[in-house]
Amino acid sequence: MNALPPRAAGHGETPQAVGPGEDWNGSTYYGRQQLKPAPFNNYVVGGYIFLAGICGGASLLAGAAELTKTPHRDGLVRRARYLSLLAPFVGGAMLIWDLHTPKRFYMMLRIFKPTSPMSIGTYIFSAFSALAVPVAALQFASDRFAWARAGWLRRANGIASVPLAATGAGIGTYTAALLAATSTPLWAAAPRALAMRFASSSVASGAAMLSIGERGAINRRRLDEITLAALTLELGATIASHAVYQRRGIGEALKTTPGIIESLGATGAGVIAPIALQAASLLLTRGRSRPLSRIAAALTIAGSLVLRISFMAAGNQSALRPDISFKFSQPRNLRK
Amino acid sequence: MVHPRALDYTASTFDRLIPNESELTGGVIIEPGRSYGFFTDTTLCIGCKACEVACKEWNNLPADSVGLTGQSYDNTGLLSANTWRHVAFIETGSAGGIETGSAGGIETGSLGAVHGGGTGGGGGVRDNNQQPYQSGWLMMSDVCKHCHNAPCLEACPTGALFRTEFDTVVVQQDICNGCGYCVPACPFGVVDVSHQDGKAHKCTLCYDRLKGGLEPACAKACPTESIQFEEVSVLQERARERVKTLHGLGVSDAYLYGVPDAPGATGDLGHLNAFFLLTARPEVYNLPAAPTRASRRVRPALLSGVATMAGLAITALAIFAGGGKR
Repeated sequence: MNALPPRAAGHGETPQAVGPGEDWNGSTYYGRQQLKPAPFNNYVVGGYIFLAGICGGASLLAGAAELTKTPHRDGLVRRARYLSLLAPFVGGAMLIWDLHTPKRFYMMLRIFKPTSPMSIGTYIFSAFSALAVPVAALQFASDRFAWARAGWLRRANGIASVPLAATGAGIGTYTAALLAATSTPLWAAAPRALAMRFASSSVASGAAMLSIGERGAINRRRLDEITLAALTLELGATIASHAVYQRRGIGEALKTTPGIIESLGATGAGVIAPIALQAASLLLTRGRSRPLSRIAAALTIAGSLVLRISFMAAGNQSALRPDISFKFSQPRNLRK
Repeated sequence: MVHPRALDYTASTFDRLIPNESELTGGVIIEPGRSYGFFTDTTLCIGCKACEVACKEWNNLPADSVGLTGQSYDNTGLLSANTWRHVAFIETGSAGGIETGSAGGIETGSLGAVHGGGTGGGGGVRDNNQQPYQSGWLMMSDVCKHCHNAPCLEACPTGALFRTEFDTVVVQQDICNGCGYCVPACPFGVVDVSHQDGKAHKCTLCYDRLKGGLEPACAKACPTESIQFEEVSVLQERARERVKTLHGLGVSDAYLYGVPDAPGATGDLGHLNAFFLLTARPEVYNLPAAPTRASRRVRPALLSGVATMAGLAITALAIFAGGGKR
């Protein structure tokens, strides 16, 4: 069984360009992919991550407004509650549509698996939906019917806003863990910084969405301040994550077309530009410039969408290119 | 050597299974509760692709593509939903050049696709000064590694991927809903979702055959014992002996990929139930040098995300609670 293969005398040591003891010289197996990219539709799943972020962010802010009993919060809270319906209805449909066997979507509820962010996310999504739908329904009832304006009903809905905000925080950020817990180099390289980016982008886009709809100048300025804070955090996390990608040798992934869109579109036009506009609006006009606020909010929302789609696409590129994936799987990247 | 019990079954065809047939063909009795796997010794591989054919035949897998890639004798290309064994071919020049596409080359495109890098046979001209026998060739039959801590299994949200009583990792086709999350989870690029039926597919280590006391089809078909099927502990012991033997004979490059604390079993993967004996760096065979367990990134990502959300929530509370003056 352990017979030796025929070898010529004197040739015991086969010459290899990259023997096991040597460093990897950058060569690949005919340039073929070593990993398989996720079979997700980047627009659909990226779109879901964006919607989940907006809904989660808006719910979080509505919860904060309810908790602090901010004056004139009714419009803000109402819009956040209606907005949060996007995740259960549109987002849920997108997720099911992206399955390759959609009629078996309910199989997701068979088990709970803490090692799988897809499973964790299923239950966060379910909890968020289970709260968002009745809260929005009650809001709708109180908007339309006198009987539903009873004080205790509104109080109950206000109390429900707090767990809704908590699950909203979850739905806005678990998607980063979903991407990070893979072998796709760009997604996996910087789990902490990525989660910080996704979470702050969620809050920024939620605040921006509410700011666009806000009629009161005071609350609009507050929402713009929150947007500015979240965008600043996102910018910091972006810089940190890009530094990690360079350190781990996969900076090449950011030079692909989706990588460039991520840098210029999501970060440049979607984070830096609105930071500048919001800062200008808050400092120069004390937040009274509605057009400036609106343009900044629109850029923030678009940037959040572009971030999710382009980051997914750039990740798939990093999986398809062995020159990137082999750099990521070098032993020097093993330490945490 | 023929197992003595094999003499009881001399007919060409049988009307029923031979009890514990694996004992006759692979020298192993398959029992639930034990850990089974493959040891693929690439120094014995002759690149006949009998494993690929046996796998396709037994598992009734459709052809992926029938054409020539121009990449040595590798016309299979990669593991996929329909291809669960894949023989890689690497032609190395006698002067020590492993001729592969230059770094960063995605599609080298041209016929041969082997310029650059190597010294021997550069510029698209094949070196005609090969060493005798197969010393200028590397061949490896790649397969699902059936990881001890399998990232695909840990990622599967439906429980379709499960660990069998033989310590192998299998997709239950009646449960998989084709979410595709196992595909990027795999650090070896093995699992694939079929566009034909919308389910994830990969090597089952012939789960059905194991249940019937049969050795997996590829291992049974392998004519050189390059693919060996056994209990993992036995295989690991045998593989270590094999490396010692090879080192003693001067093949100092021989090493194991996928045994504990070796390349391939890094990043908390534990060990690979299907492991390999290689004589060049893992990348040469399109294997990652240091794969990792994806689920280890769940906690840091979730904690960081929740902390960010908490920080922004506090910021929002402070802003909402602040006076509305100015």
